[in-house]
Amino acid sequence: MTVQRVKVVQSLFHANDQAAEAIRTRCDEAGVVAVNLLAGPGAGKTSLITRTIAALAGVARVGVVEGDIAGSVDTERVLAAGAVDAVQVNTGGGCHLEAGMLARALDDLDLGAIDLLMVENVGNLICPTHWDLGEHARVCLVSAAEGDDKPVKYPDVFARSDAIVLNKIDLIDLVDFDRTRFYEAVRALNPDAPVFEVSCRTGAGLEAWVDWLRARLAARVAGGEVG
Amino acid sequence: MHELALSAYLLESVEEHAREAGARRVVAINLVVGDRSCVEEEALRFCFELLSPGTLAEGAELALRWVPMRFWCNTCAAEYTPDLAGFHCPRCGTVGGVLDDGTDVLIESLEIET
Repeated sequence: MTVQRVKVVQSLFHANDQAAEAIRTRCDEAGVVAVNLLAGPGAGKTSLITRTIAALAGVARVGVVEGDIAGSVDTERVLAAGAVDAVQVNTGGGCHLEAGMLARALDDLDLGAIDLLMVENVGNLICPTHWDLGEHARVCLVSAAEGDDKPVKYPDVFARSDAIVLNKIDLIDLVDFDRTRFYEAVRALNPDAPVFEVSCRTGAGLEAWVDWLRARLAARVAGGEVG
Repeated sequence: MHELALSAYLLESVEEHAREAGARRVVAINLVVGDRSCVEEEALRFCFELLSPGTLAEGAELALRWVPMRFWCNTCAAEYTPDLAGFHCPRCGTVGGVLDDGTDVLIESLEIET
């Protein structure tokens, strides 16, 4: 009996990454731009989605996949806000969405009827970061009320996002949020991603965020690279 | 329970590679884990013990090699590993740029019986 060493060097996320790539192709073929929205609980993921749906009315049809441990409250909210279609994924305790879960959810969503797919991940700044869902853009949402130390405590999500949304800026003076500290850490991790300061409550700052999405949608229509 | 999902992917991948190499049994699995990957070692070992019976990796030793998050300081022209309080260079105090975010979880190699 011999023991031999076999070199592997493969990420544990390899199988998920393959499933994610299949989703990306599926969205590309349907002409859909997919956004994976990551945030902690209560940062305002659903509020950002409902504001986005309203702002894009007449411009882009929005479909939503809602990832939650349980319940369908968010699906009802986005449908009431004008989402063309919405599918709820209940992970039953799982802390993140995986590509396989999203692939099954997309079987129940008419990709031909939408232009923009917003995937609301499970509220968590840790695990969802590691699982590619085949999105074209990963967006990290944090709120001022959570504190300016979020990029230092959860570096991964900031390092791997294509855009960062800072919500609840109407509260910024009430919660002693230090912009210098926040931006210093964000820029160390991610020098290039745009940061949008918004308030989903008052509507402040949302134009720049929506313009960014519109540019990505326009690039798709033009047949350009959206990734 | 992120470690449960990771363990399932780990076993799937280990079995695939072990079978390709003609293994009768996997003796050890060498993993490289970033120290910012949020993997909890005890939870990973627990989930692996839970899922591995009946697979080629039943009874295999899980060996974890932890690797740190790494930054580059332009001022000092040197690498550093930031502490948990921020991303400042321990020599000059400026904030450098990220080289390795320390979040990978890789299967580096397997030790198998053929």
